[in-house]
Amino acid sequence: MNVEETLRYLGYGRGQGDLQTLKLVEECWQELEQAAARRSCFREYPLAFSDSGQLDLGCFQTKSLALSKNLKGCQAVVLFAATLGVQTDILIRRYSRLEMSRAVVLQAAAAAMLEDYCDQVNEEIRQEYEKKGLSLRPRFSPGYGDFPLECQPALLGALEAGKRVGITLTDSLLMAPSKSVTAVIGVSPAEGSAAEGLCIGKGCGSCGKRDCAYRREKS
Amino acid sequence: MRGTIMEEIRRRKVFFDGGMGSLLQARGLKAGELPETWNLLHPEILRQIHGDYLGAGCDILTTNTFGANRIKYPAGGAFSLKEITEAGVANAREAVKEAGRGYVALDLGPTGKLLKPLGDLDFDHACAVYKEVVETGSRAGADLVLVETMSDGYEAKAAILAAKENCGLPVFATMIFDQKGKLLTGGSVESTVALLEGLGVDALGINCGLGPVQMKEILKELLKYASVPVIVNPNAGLPRSQDGRTVYDIDENEFAAVMEEIADMGANVLGGCCGTTPGHIKKLVERCRDKEQRLPARKGRTVVSSYTHAVVIDRDPVIIGERINPTGKSRFKQALRDHNLEYILQEGVTQEDHGAHVLDVNVGLPGIDEAGMMEEVVKELQSVIDLPLQIDTSDIGAMERAMRIYNGKPLINSVNGKEESMKAIFPLVKHYGGVVVALALDEGGIPDTAQGRLEIAKKIYATAAEYGIGKEDILIDGLCLTVSSDSKGALTTLETLRRVRDELGGKTILGVSNISFGLPQREIINGAFFTMAMASGLNAAIINPNSQAMMQSYYSFRALSDLDSQCGDYIGMYGGGPSGAGEAPGGLKAGRRGPREVLGPAPGSMGLGDCIRRGLKEKAHEAVKALLKEREALDIINEEMIPALDNVGKGFEKGTVFLPQLLMSAEAAKAAFEVIKDEMARNGQSQEKKGTIILATVKGDIHDIGKNIVKVLLENYSYQVVDLGKDVPPEKIAQEAADRKVPLVGLSALMTTTVPGMEETIRLLRESAPWAKVMVGGAVLTEEYARTIGADCYCRDAMASVNYAESVILGKELEHGEKGAGTR
Repeated sequence: MNVEETLRYLGYGRGQGDLQTLKLVEECWQELEQAAARRSCFREYPLAFSDSGQLDLGCFQTKSLALSKNLKGCQAVVLFAATLGVQTDILIRRYSRLEMSRAVVLQAAAAAMLEDYCDQVNEEIRQEYEKKGLSLRPRFSPGYGDFPLECQPALLGALEAGKRVGITLTDSLLMAPSKSVTAVIGVSPAEGSAAEGLCIGKGCGSCGKRDCAYRREKS
Repeated sequence: MRGTIMEEIRRRKVFFDGGMGSLLQARGLKAGELPETWNLLHPEILRQIHGDYLGAGCDILTTNTFGANRIKYPAGGAFSLKEITEAGVANAREAVKEAGRGYVALDLGPTGKLLKPLGDLDFDHACAVYKEVVETGSRAGADLVLVETMSDGYEAKAAILAAKENCGLPVFATMIFDQKGKLLTGGSVESTVALLEGLGVDALGINCGLGPVQMKEILKELLKYASVPVIVNPNAGLPRSQDGRTVYDIDENEFAAVMEEIADMGANVLGGCCGTTPGHIKKLVERCRDKEQRLPARKGRTVVSSYTHAVVIDRDPVIIGERINPTGKSRFKQALRDHNLEYILQEGVTQEDHGAHVLDVNVGLPGIDEAGMMEEVVKELQSVIDLPLQIDTSDIGAMERAMRIYNGKPLINSVNGKEESMKAIFPLVKHYGGVVVALALDEGGIPDTAQGRLEIAKKIYATAAEYGIGKEDILIDGLCLTVSSDSKGALTTLETLRRVRDELGGKTILGVSNISFGLPQREIINGAFFTMAMASGLNAAIINPNSQAMMQSYYSFRALSDLDSQCGDYIGMYGGGPSGAGEAPGGLKAGRRGPREVLGPAPGSMGLGDCIRRGLKEKAHEAVKALLKEREALDIINEEMIPALDNVGKGFEKGTVFLPQLLMSAEAAKAAFEVIKDEMARNGQSQEKKGTIILATVKGDIHDIGKNIVKVLLENYSYQVVDLGKDVPPEKIAQEAADRKVPLVGLSALMTTTVPGMEETIRLLRESAPWAKVMVGGAVLTEEYARTIGADCYCRDAMASVNYAESVILGKELEHGEKGAGTR
């Protein structure tokens, strides 16, 4: 249960959650734990940089300064997808018809849960690669910075994410179920200096939406 | 001359081929390249692979058309879908011709899209997409249709209907289950079997997702429920990535060894999926070829299903909630006319919370488009509530529409012994699947005796059998007439129940509360009669589950009839305990949702304003009731409620109150408004609305939470909100705005990819409703962005939309620097 993140998504600052809201957050997490069907998958693909700044990730090519910077020094990438399943969407939908306050808290709790789940799977992958003497870059998602959303079909296709974890795309490239994440994770040979200064962790550094209510302080 | 595939299956174990994708990759198919294009580009390779599989001993080749559909091959693309499909069938046909044996299955995979309302693919569109492939593929010479790798029962339904409606070939369907025996979309093995068999598939099973080892558990479940031949097509094992390649945890020999166990367990048709090769199939066939074929026995179970689970109708009585029905309910009628689906959903949820297993849905109202309304309500209910539905209508068009779009195997209410009724209903039951309520009456009316009703039941069974509908899919309604007009009426009904069970081996249903018409304290006699009916073998009861008396009968009967192990459910309901559920009115099912009041006991004397400020829904409800005894409704609104709402709204803008609290307050106010509305209606008054506002999430966007928040708040401020929903085409919004002459339209878009849809909507609005102001909001929008697409106002949060509405419609000035200031 990640109450703190849930409150942050709801716009609360530190220590601002009142008792009643905290209780609601707790209930929502319990209900979400029941409903959510966490699934993830990943696959490794080779990575090549061309002189024109084009990135070749084996299953698709793209041009993105932010992603190039993130993947500098990598020879391979792990494509990654994770979701909380349609069950989570159904739960949020149910309350958005019946009890909106609960729906917005569930929405926030689901966002926090998904992020935690991604971190957890990401960490498992990292440990696996560490054994082979490889280190991983922070995961980088289409739509973030200048990494085009148009890469989604190829990325999900390469992962066979539809049949493996049930993530699909709408015509306008939104993921359904909505509580889903895709990402590219760079694989580099050595720990340490190469990744230095790139490790933005959970930051918002590459995002252009500067007036975002959820933008994290640089800390 | 060879026999048909179904004859072969009755005689012996039959074998499918194995994987295709990995074999094509080994021959040079690139990542991202569409495999079906090779049907045209490299037919010789496809023929060779098909030939290899036949050589390995398989009987059924699947065409390389898994992704061959209009969604992946749009018109005007580099490849013609028709040619790809035709070539897919032709390549397999060639191989069969050369080998002199084998069958060709037209392969239909998932579309890759999620169906509405969670995704953007319309059910009818999905049917049309599959129809196109079925037409081409069957004409090209397929012997059967294989719907496979489906992780959503609803999508499988679309494909199966398309196959059944557009060719006469046998239809097989295999689904992906996870290790827990669930579809990705949540369905269970039992509910999936109910759905697929209801749709009349000729064989069903599992493929992909798991290796043979993991499929054994799923197969056990399947065999418990299935009455048609069972197919098992596993992956080569569980995959893992090794040096960028996919490898499996078991080899060909082990694969075949486990498949032998699977054949012995009772699988009738066996083959492989991802990672399996002709080598796997060869070893599988060698081991299993001479096994004895035992087809599943007819289970004869009476089952209905929702998208998540099955409800079995048997000795343990099933409660069918009767409250979604406008008869005698003026507010329900109004809700239908207003398309107020929240009201109807609330009726459903309340019944679910009180223990209903199935919900009856009746939306019949004079002057209403019943088919359209039925579709709208069924779609909404099945996307919010996971109970199976009973489609209750005398309008055949409405019934067919609802059965078609229903996500599961429904109950159908009703058919009767009249020729005309059976002729209309049975074909629908056969086509879409369902369990149908059959009233024991016919052209001669309702027989006075149980014997007469039994005769009609027999006639109904016999006629149903002619349509291929088994007795298990019929619930005989013994008919319950009011006992006050016929003192023998109840006894006749009870005798009918007993004799249908004992003499005909059938299942029964009753609308129980009819018994008490015209009597005082109806619940008393209803509860007693209900107990008597259950004791006489009643399998399903259409009742009001919110009635305490009825549910007490139900729980008592179960405890007394060895249907409630150690009286666990009874104690859970009435034993009090820490949850206190036992004391809830009518016995609320504990647990599903916590208590609504999330703050501890508040002082009893709390005023309405405080209740609203603190977001206490139930307390607000009580407080307003008390106030109404002494004060005028309008005074309460203006002096208590509005100031409280304003107070919370100001707090939200200052950053001292947050969104959940704002909404809890809104909900508390709404609860109070409901009471006032009822009171005013009683006095023949009505509350003036300030104006009408259209809200919509724009085309391409399926996220509507932001829009829904705005709706809740605007309604609280007495605006009439017309909610057009999500993924709404620009033309529709423009049309509605013009027709309704609304002063204000609110649009929501979440993603950069859907903002163009918003821009287009605004452009059309300027043409069709130039007087209307447009406010916009959504995650990617900014003040500047909103200006560039031509909006009048960017609302950064929900209160900003209220303030803008007040300024546009009431002429209230926006405070300087207030959030949501106009952009021009």
